Amino acid sequence: MFKYFLKKRLREKQFVFWSMIFPLALMTFMHIAFGNIYDIENHIDPMKTCVVTEDTGVFVYNFQSLMDEMSDENGDNYYFDLDYAASVEPAKKSLEDGEYEILFEVKADDIKVFLAPGHSATSAYMAKAVCDSYMRNYDLIMEAYEKDPGSAQAVLDNTLEEVSYTKPAQSAFSEDPDPYSWFFYSTLVMGIFFNSMSGVAIVSELCADVSADAMRLSVSSAKKSRMIISSFLSKFSISFVIVLIQLLFMRYVMDISLGNSIPKLLLFVASSILFSLGFGVICGTIFKGSTDNRGNKTTSVVMISVFLSGEMIQQLPGVFEKYAPFINDINPATVMNMAFYKLAICGDYTGFYMDIAKILVTTLIFIAIGVFVLRREKYASL
Amino acid sequence: MSDVIKVEGLVKRYKELIALDHLDLKVKQGEIYGLLGPNGSGKTTAINCILSLLEYDKGSITIFGKDMTPKSYDIKKDIGIVPQDLALYDSLTVYENIDFFCGLYIKDPAKRKEYVKEAIDFVSIGDFAKFKPKKLSGGLKRRLNIACGIAHKPKLIFFDEPTVAVDPQSRNKILEGIVELRNSGATIVYTSHYMEEVEQICDYVVVLDKGHKIAEGTIDELKNMIKKSEIITIEAAGVDEDTITYIREMKNIYNVEYEKDLLKVEAGSGKHNVIDIINILQDRGYKMKKIFSEQPTLNDVFLELTGKNLRDE
Repeated sequence: MFKYFLKKRLREKQFVFWSMIFPLALMTFMHIAFGNIYDIENHIDPMKTCVVTEDTGVFVYNFQSLMDEMSDENGDNYYFDLDYAASVEPAKKSLEDGEYEILFEVKADDIKVFLAPGHSATSAYMAKAVCDSYMRNYDLIMEAYEKDPGSAQAVLDNTLEEVSYTKPAQSAFSEDPDPYSWFFYSTLVMGIFFNSMSGVAIVSELCADVSADAMRLSVSSAKKSRMIISSFLSKFSISFVIVLIQLLFMRYVMDISLGNSIPKLLLFVASSILFSLGFGVICGTIFKGSTDNRGNKTTSVVMISVFLSGEMIQQLPGVFEKYAPFINDINPATVMNMAFYKLAICGDYTGFYMDIAKILVTTLIFIAIGVFVLRREKYASL
Repeated sequence: MSDVIKVEGLVKRYKELIALDHLDLKVKQGEIYGLLGPNGSGKTTAINCILSLLEYDKGSITIFGKDMTPKSYDIKKDIGIVPQDLALYDSLTVYENIDFFCGLYIKDPAKRKEYVKEAIDFVSIGDFAKFKPKKLSGGLKRRLNIACGIAHKPKLIFFDEPTVAVDPQSRNKILEGIVELRNSGATIVYTSHYMEEVEQICDYVVVLDKGHKIAEGTIDELKNMIKKSEIITIEAAGVDEDTITYIREMKNIYNVEYEKDLLKVEAGSGKHNVIDIINILQDRGYKMKKIFSEQPTLNDVFLELTGKNLRDE
């Protein structure tokens, strides 16, 4: 029985497409389109920049130090090809002539930024990022100098990191999570969540009021419990292998981080698949009509859940967290995404276990209801 | 012959609708038991109750002398079902479909292999064993549906409208197969709204209408229940109203119709009905071209008992 349940599922083109090929295709597309985004960011041509320091003082000195760090040809943050000038007017003239892209006029406690006519978006972004970050961290730098001059460099390094926009956000609920990784995790979760269709298939395979095949099974002398276990295990096994293939693809083809713990990763995969199957069984039971009808309605629910989890707009979960956090709490796709993100990027294992616990408790409830429904052997109507 | 199925006082309600109203059935071993009735008469509901798939409100059901419940696995192992809707898996081949359903009953792989082969031969679909159901014609799908229901060699088989949407060739093949199964010792419960099929193969027939049993018996017994025993049709041009009235008033004649040169007479049992009518027409100088006499069909039985045709529903 298990063998044929397995064969049957593997040969269903729609299932194979949605749970395996579609996510892989999306990942590949994303990788081709944006896979080298970090390389591009890391190879920004140094921008011709002039720093005018008519005043003196710690504020000016520290800014010069920061700019020196960012104009070191051998450093990791070589963004500026830097000149210093003593007065602003000649520098402005050079800016207008196109000799410089950015001009920083550093006063005793303020910085003014001037950009060349026809400046690029990158130069505008970098100028603003440097300015904002320095202004934000200045007090910290000052405090560090007063208390422990040796730690001032660390604060300065932090400022440099803030300027770099290649660093992934540490909080998955940030309004600006690392969009590249988030997309892949979200796509993987979408693939896992599509296993709800397998849950619907379990209902249509075993409930005599849904399909003629199930009616034939119900009349047979094979025990319902055996059928449920066979059907459930076959779907789980196939899904588990498919997700493992996707993870290997992500790790070794796409070079996406999956975290450092394989057992935790497997725990995530197993619990997410179980959840999806249970979710499918519940949907298959609640929705009425033909098997296709139940499947289509379930797909719609899954798609909405995946959309709200930020598959297309990565900032959505962050926005919900701010204004309506319960949406994230009850959206299965977000909970699964969060668990994966915390495992793979943030290393927040406490948060990861919390999310897994949430998934498993819900799964237990779903499976308990599912078994109750599936074990039913007499129907009010057929 | 012992009763294979015994149903007593079976009542099934769907809210206000009474689908089965105190239905009693007795199916004897080795017979083809026909459940005849229009769509919605309760045939399939009766089968689903007997198979313990449907909850029912009242009554008792025994199969092979034991109470039938959803957990009666010892009874179920000897039952086969060919449902009205095709119960097949599109992603499995013909062979795999039969093997899967046979495997629900037969654990021994060697025995199962033999049974599957026999079932394939029985419905003559050996050439399509590696095909998936999608590639089969409607008739072949129906045959596969049958093979899946009988492969484990059940003693009691339910056929629920197995010939719906089937071409005449496949229909004959299916009907022959059912008779062959009966001849090999199986008991068959056969539902249909095609009276010709029921007449052709059933040993005993129960006529259902709106959940009620309106008649039962062998085909001959059912036909004897109604007044008319013969329908005489004579092609004769220009028969006048006086002659028609004369025939209508004859003994044993229930109804006379004359349309487009065809005189149709419904007569009761009598040895000389045809001769008597021919003599009248000859005496009055009418030339007759075609003359034929038909026995009443089950539809006539149904019509007389309910006032409507079987196919009208």
